Amino acid sequence: MKNRYLVFLLTLLVATVFVLGGCGSSKDKKPAAESKLKVAFVYVGPVGDAGWSYAHDQGRQYLISKMPDVQTTIIESVPEGADAERVITQLVEQGHKIIFTTSFGYMDPTINVAKKYPNVVFMHCSGYKTAANVGTYFGRIYQSRYLTGIVAGKATKTNVVGYVAAHPIPEVVRGINAFTLGVRSVNPNAKVKVIWTNTWYDPAKEKQAGKTLLDAGADVIAQHQDTPGPQQAAQEKGKLGIGYNTDMSKMAPKAVMTSAVWNWGPYYVKIVDAVKKGTWKSGQYWGGMNDKIVDIAPYGPMVGEDTKKLVDTAKKKLAEGKWDVFTGPVKDQTGKVVVKDGQKMSDADMLKMNWFVEGVEGTIPK
Amino acid sequence: MFVPVRLEKRLVPSPVMRIMVPLVSVIMALVFCGIFLAITGRDPLEVYAAMFAGALGSAYGLSETVVKAIPLMLCALGISVAFRMQLWNIGAEGQFYIGAFAATWLPLTFPNLPGYVMIPGMILLGLAAGAMWAFIPAYLRAKSNVNEIITTLMFNYVGILLVDYFVYGPWRDPKGLNFPLTARFADAAILPTFGASRIHIGIVFALVLVFILLVAFKYSRWGYEIRVIGQSERAAAYAGMNIQRSIFYVMLISGAISGLAGMAEVSGIAGRLQPGLSPGYGYTAIIIAWLSKLNPLAIVLVSLLFGVLQVGGYLVQTFGVPATVASMVQGAILFFVVGGEIFINYSIKIASRKEALTEND
Amino acid sequence: MGAPFIKMQGIVKKFPGVVANDHIDLDIYLGEIHALLGENGSGKSTLMSVLAGLYKPTAGKILINGVEKKFGSPRDAIANGIGMVHQHFKLVEPLTVAENITMAEREGSFWLKLGKYEHELIQFGAKYGLSVNPSALVWQLSVGEKQRVEILRILYQGSQVLILDEPTAVLTPQETCELFENLRTMANEGCAVIFITHKLNEVQALADRVTVLRGGKVTGVLQRDEIETKRLVRLMVGRDVVSHYDRKNVSDGQIVLEIDRVNALNDMGLPGLNGLSLVVREGEILGLAGVAGNGQRELAEVIAGLRKTTMGTVRLRGEDVTNLSPLEMIRRGVGYVPEDRMGMGLIPELNITDNLVLKCYQHPRFSGRWLLNNREIYNKSTQLVEQYQVKIPSLEQPIKLLSGGNMQRLLLAREIANEPKLMVVVYPVRGLDVGATEAVHKLLLELRLRRTAILLISEDLDEIFKLADRVGVLSRGQVVGDFNVEDADVEEIGLLMAGSAKGVENDVCPR
Repeated sequence: MKNRYLVFLLTLLVATVFVLGGCGSSKDKKPAAESKLKVAFVYVGPVGDAGWSYAHDQGRQYLISKMPDVQTTIIESVPEGADAERVITQLVEQGHKIIFTTSFGYMDPTINVAKKYPNVVFMHCSGYKTAANVGTYFGRIYQSRYLTGIVAGKATKTNVVGYVAAHPIPEVVRGINAFTLGVRSVNPNAKVKVIWTNTWYDPAKEKQAGKTLLDAGADVIAQHQDTPGPQQAAQEKGKLGIGYNTDMSKMAPKAVMTSAVWNWGPYYVKIVDAVKKGTWKSGQYWGGMNDKIVDIAPYGPMVGEDTKKLVDTAKKKLAEGKWDVFTGPVKDQTGKVVVKDGQKMSDADMLKMNWFVEGVEGTIPK
Repeated sequence: MFVPVRLEKRLVPSPVMRIMVPLVSVIMALVFCGIFLAITGRDPLEVYAAMFAGALGSAYGLSETVVKAIPLMLCALGISVAFRMQLWNIGAEGQFYIGAFAATWLPLTFPNLPGYVMIPGMILLGLAAGAMWAFIPAYLRAKSNVNEIITTLMFNYVGILLVDYFVYGPWRDPKGLNFPLTARFADAAILPTFGASRIHIGIVFALVLVFILLVAFKYSRWGYEIRVIGQSERAAAYAGMNIQRSIFYVMLISGAISGLAGMAEVSGIAGRLQPGLSPGYGYTAIIIAWLSKLNPLAIVLVSLLFGVLQVGGYLVQTFGVPATVASMVQGAILFFVVGGEIFINYSIKIASRKEALTEND
Repeated sequence: MGAPFIKMQGIVKKFPGVVANDHIDLDIYLGEIHALLGENGSGKSTLMSVLAGLYKPTAGKILINGVEKKFGSPRDAIANGIGMVHQHFKLVEPLTVAENITMAEREGSFWLKLGKYEHELIQFGAKYGLSVNPSALVWQLSVGEKQRVEILRILYQGSQVLILDEPTAVLTPQETCELFENLRTMANEGCAVIFITHKLNEVQALADRVTVLRGGKVTGVLQRDEIETKRLVRLMVGRDVVSHYDRKNVSDGQIVLEIDRVNALNDMGLPGLNGLSLVVREGEILGLAGVAGNGQRELAEVIAGLRKTTMGTVRLRGEDVTNLSPLEMIRRGVGYVPEDRMGMGLIPELNITDNLVLKCYQHPRFSGRWLLNNREIYNKSTQLVEQYQVKIPSLEQPIKLLSGGNMQRLLLAREIANEPKLMVVVYPVRGLDVGATEAVHKLLLELRLRRTAILLISEDLDEIFKLADRVGVLSRGQVVGDFNVEDADVEEIGLLMAGSAKGVENDVCPR
């Protein structure tokens, strides 16, 4: 009996909501400065995460600073499930002409929506599916990781470097391997211990993982996570760390020696410019140190000159493009040579990497 | 020492309040959040208008609201069955994932089955797996009176991590560059949709269930037993009811329905199993079941309302409002509705100090 | 002895429809142990709740040391040195003993100085012979220890007057003994102890003075040397035997219920029934008198299939039905009107129809394999409501909105409608007014005429003498005495109820 009232009430409520909604939509049609090119960004985390989404948003701000005639919209914290497809669709419906979807889980939704809107350009970050109006883009952050590995390798005294890793996917595995190669290029006795958190964004859990590694003897903490939790753990214990995504030294100035950072801005400018000029074409972009889409953040005061020199040399080699991180000989954990001496690993092999190089302590769940 | 205000229990819950409270609660919640928006320098009306326009102002928005409401509805229906018997099954999230997981097994193992075998098979697997996931908490509760809140909650994590294990490991799409996704299902394993929208026949499952539950709650022996056991286990034992058996059935059915929700989502929306399939449907559904007072029809409407809030919630970001505003509105509504309940069952009396001192027995 | 510390004068406490205390006077002196004796419902607890500040009296005054005081809350009573230990302890289980005791302390400091308190408490307890471990967690303590903590808390708050509400009900004999010693120590230390009881032997073992209540009035105040069992019984139950209802005699029928040396545990896992035997015949009412807590509930539940026996047999019309399920017992024609109307017999939140089919919804007439036959259920409910003349606005109404009398009538109607062979009725008129009581009694007598065997468990001797053909007394989980109602003597019954029967030794520790 009592529920009948409730049902009635909710009907009423939904009706009110409809009316409200109706008003709203008519209001929405008011003429705005529609001449501007509308560009939208879909983020998986909150912009304030100081990590992945933050780095993309820095790129977006760079874009509007360079191209004032572009109007940008962001939608943050969009789950990778059913919501993504709708959010992307609605952005198109609102008149956005270029849409950057910045998480791997948006791959299918992006492709699905793109099918329906051939005149809109979609750029999906970190995926592998393309279409006539869908391009993918990513950066060779592993190159930055190699460089930061050199810094960590020089700094560790216990010869144990901790690595807080998000999910066992090729992107993360590649980063761990590159980092380890960097560490061992200057310190062949050092080991890299890996802990999986199975989350991209969980400040408490990531910090806890950092502490665990410190307790296990690590004195430098690197990370593939979107929060500075592991760096803060290092700072609290008076140990050192290597940040990721953006310059994390603000969050843990005493610990962070440098960070592997993204620099999306120039690339965003390039893409938007190409679309405006009509020269944009679908493709798979994977830029490296030479494009400056990846880099390392300024050093903290604790990094010595000799270390900086070593990094500079390696960085130059990478920027020249003749040598890459996974140039042989590269051995896996069992000591088996995977990349032969002098050979360069192909992009295809790198993109599906699911084994650890020698010197990594940890396993990839299979 | 005494505040000269006291609450007096009403003999009969006030029917006027029963209408007014939820209505006023929702309005208060909107006003409350509106004040917040205004303080942060936005026009609340404009934001709300955008929110509701996004969810209801177009055919697409409407269809997406329904899409969003389907898993919420199914989970909330499942939860409501258990809640009616005061069994606090908060394991819908885990049951959802396990249902999706079991349903995924069929197309991955037998990709070439025809649709008329595939879909019913997946439905059965989803139902069975959800029920199975509720089985252990049900068993522990029925036999040893282990608190089902704890066990079902814990099983959520186990379920989610089990799915993670499979998508990161054995079920990973071999062509997917080692990304944690299963292969896409064959077309025969995708639930049919209505027209060009994403509304899949999961909505039919939900509506059929609403009908079945309405009938069952009101007209079936089983519904009667749930009603009695839920209100008083002692009276039920006195009447010769088999309480343990009922706990079993109710938990299994509750789990099965949430499992079906998982099957519908994986087959109707995602088309493959992936981590993060549910952005917390199983938890939101608890709120929905509660707000609906466990009434199946009300669950449909409240789910749609939550669909509106969530669909519209992302759109308000285009006004530069953080996504958290939609969550805030949801939270505020719940807060005001639950808080307002007191006015249904109690009336406020302003009493003199002297009166306040008299006993209340 | 000097002037009384507490003087209660002309205390009246009315509840809707009941006068619980009717002009009661009571004097309490420091250093005495004062027993408050009476049957259930005689007003003892109400009077003490007034003294402890829980109830405000309708009329009368309380003088402390000759000064009139008004208590608005237990806190006011405590401030005047009066504290009460309730039957249900008011302790916070997850906290330690020290935390519980010092919770009420208010110091300027935000931090609790638990270490200091713990030491203090041990010394404080030793003074009264109350040994406690201040750092133990309350949930780990036995019932007796918890009670000790409650007492200590009240003393620690500075109380000079300690009220205990049936303190021995939850204790083992040894714990009872310890408690009594502690109480004597307290009295010697200058406190006043008031203890509420309905057990004569406890009065004899402990009290310096006793005030006896009956029906909300004081029937006598005895000094230590005046206390003797017979006198107490007369004051407690003493009344003229009420005339029987006018009723036809039914000739001796066949045995319907036969219980043979049955043992069963109570909810706390202690023996509730101790080798209980009884027999009820067709068309006969067996009335079992007795003070609550002597196995009433356990006996009724064993017969209804709700409680397992640990020994002995239950036979129904010759068939061994020991430990059958409640459903099996219902099917064999056992009706049961439980003591707890709202908690077991009815479901307050559900409507009248739902409540009326509680015992018969599984019958093919009212439901198929899956669905209820709502039309039949409606018809049946309407018929019952009309037949038993219960005035209700609608069958859809939650049953909790009815008066107690109407509820009990519907409950009886439902049980009778199932045409029981045996009806177990526990405290059937508790809380009902005169009219409703009469209606319920009439229904039972009618049922008897239809040759149903009836087991009536009651604490109201009037009721038993009015209705029963045979009378027994339930005491410590056994039936003691078996009289034809014509031969029964109220005083003898009263003695049996008080546990002073021959063969049952007075086991309270001697003075």
